Amino acid sequence: MSPPTLEIEGLRVGFGAMEAVRGISLSVARGETHCLVGESGCGKSVSALAVMGLLPPGARRTVRRIAFAGEEIGHLSERQLARLRGDRMGMIFQEPMTSLNPAYTIGSQMTEVLRRHRGLSRGDAAERSVAMLDRVGVTAPAMRLGQFPHQLSGGLRQRVMIAMALLCEPKLLIADEPTTALDVTVQAQTLRLLARLQRDLGLAVLLITHDLGIVARVANHVSVMYAGEIVEQGSVEGLFAAPSHPYTRGLLDAIPVPGKVRRGDRLGSIPGIVPRLQAGFVGCPFRDRCAHAAPVCAVEAARQEAGLEHVYRCRLAPGWWREAA
Amino acid sequence: MSAPAIEAIGLSRVFDQRQGLFGEPKHVVAVDDVSLSVAAGRAIGIVGESGCGKSTLARVLLGILPPSAGTVRIAGQSLAEMDRRARARLIQPVFQDPMSSLNPRRRVADIVALPLIVQGVAGAERNRRVGAMLERVGLSADTGARYPAQLSGGQRQRVAIARALVNEPRILVCDEPTSALDVSVQAQILNLLGDLRAALDLTLVFISHNLAVVEHIADEVAVMYLGRIVEHGENAAVFGAPRHPYTRALLASVLTPEPGLGLPDVPLGEGYPDPSNIPAGCRFHPRCPIAIDICRVRPPERRAVECHLAP
Repeated sequence: MSPPTLEIEGLRVGFGAMEAVRGISLSVARGETHCLVGESGCGKSVSALAVMGLLPPGARRTVRRIAFAGEEIGHLSERQLARLRGDRMGMIFQEPMTSLNPAYTIGSQMTEVLRRHRGLSRGDAAERSVAMLDRVGVTAPAMRLGQFPHQLSGGLRQRVMIAMALLCEPKLLIADEPTTALDVTVQAQTLRLLARLQRDLGLAVLLITHDLGIVARVANHVSVMYAGEIVEQGSVEGLFAAPSHPYTRGLLDAIPVPGKVRRGDRLGSIPGIVPRLQAGFVGCPFRDRCAHAAPVCAVEAARQEAGLEHVYRCRLAPGWWREAA
Repeated sequence: MSAPAIEAIGLSRVFDQRQGLFGEPKHVVAVDDVSLSVAAGRAIGIVGESGCGKSTLARVLLGILPPSAGTVRIAGQSLAEMDRRARARLIQPVFQDPMSSLNPRRRVADIVALPLIVQGVAGAERNRRVGAMLERVGLSADTGARYPAQLSGGQRQRVAIARALVNEPRILVCDEPTSALDVSVQAQILNLLGDLRAALDLTLVFISHNLAVVEHIADEVAVMYLGRIVEHGENAAVFGAPRHPYTRALLASVLTPEPGLGLPDVPLGEGYPDPSNIPAGCRFHPRCPIAIDICRVRPPERRAVECHLAP
């Protein structure tokens, strides 16, 4: 069996005295989507940047193992990583305007990628770019090459960014909130497009989102992040069938679902806010907001199995909510 | 029967967009002949995608933008004939981003007190009302001494709500009040708005792109598309049996946290709505999956569901 496209073990990222990512482990297999879900400040975007080697200056990264298609990449120099990025790893962001240069045409930005990473001629690069734009469903692709990013709608810009990330046919795509800035109808269309491309190209996708609705619909595996830790991880079916960490349950209860909640019912809400944790923090990071916290939570959060390939970190035994109800 | 709490009659708002220095100004019809009325104590949700005119409608209802045509009436009285202070006593806004709607150089207590100062409430009475309002929105008494930058997003939105309600207005217009917040905090704010609405007998105009949130908080819902309300009805009717093809597409696009359902195929094509270039006939026809010839030439009749083909 071939190794997973991406493997991370014990990733930590610190800024000064704070620790934003506190020892996370996950893997993404070929053709699979792994969703990293959590609220703002939980460390999900920092984790993605750490994988790509794009952390801002001053960040400290330590990792037990980080491997791309079975090969250790933790020790690579900035130059070697830069070659990997854009060629075998692609990344897309929430706001296409942050990764598209407003001063250059779509064509010059796309062909530059191919000329740099693949050494293609100008003409060949333009041809490949048109084909890729067509593939992501951009209408009149040849005409788009001469346009500037501001001349496109938000949905089209997001497609152009996806096309750029996929130009060199990467093995891994890291997508950080790729549809959060889009309208709901365009979001559904864009996610369908990503799913189709993933199937065609056998892409491994690490999708970062705050939206459990998106997670349920596109993920194979899910990691729920809270205050820099993965508090629950499992297959999408297992995790949604038996959400076992009190934080995961709290998040799901907080979402209004059409037709599910009667109007006038109160939504579940989690009191308080996400803590910013110092390096050396011990115990369960959720304990200050948890209705089930006990003295032991200040010491450790036990790793427990809720099912096959479904783990969570909490003192409460599997199925605890049935007794609580 | 008493007059509706708020009423829009034939409301339009047009912006002139210049195409360069010497270009002909282009008319952008953001709100196009919209009429609606909301009874006292009801909550209306206005949903639609970016550029549909929902925020412009909110600003015209609030009296922040004058309408190009039409009238807004509050409790039977024309908004245009009221002075600013009278208007502020009746209707107040809550916006999406409290960071840009709260003065960063003022303490929370001063921000919440400002509407009272404008109305001439002074001294101990003012302090008492500010303190009571902060408590009511779930902020601790010491929050009053802090600055907006020292608060979390949810706390800031509570401050914005406190400021809006301190004068006991009859109507609250919320424009995407939870869109910048995390889901767990969004739930706190929605619960708070629900509680306040019941306790203070408020009329709520709730604008959002999030259909699930609107379904949760509103009694009735109006769906906007390119400046017009294309479907309007009771929540249960619109969400349970949507009649306009646009409403159906919007609802189908909502990704509920139910694994196994996969991604919906939203049959809207690639055309993107452009308010400066509204299509002839039915304005939705270029994206409509069921459009027929008449849709391309004749605008639909102006009724609760603006569609030639709706049942």
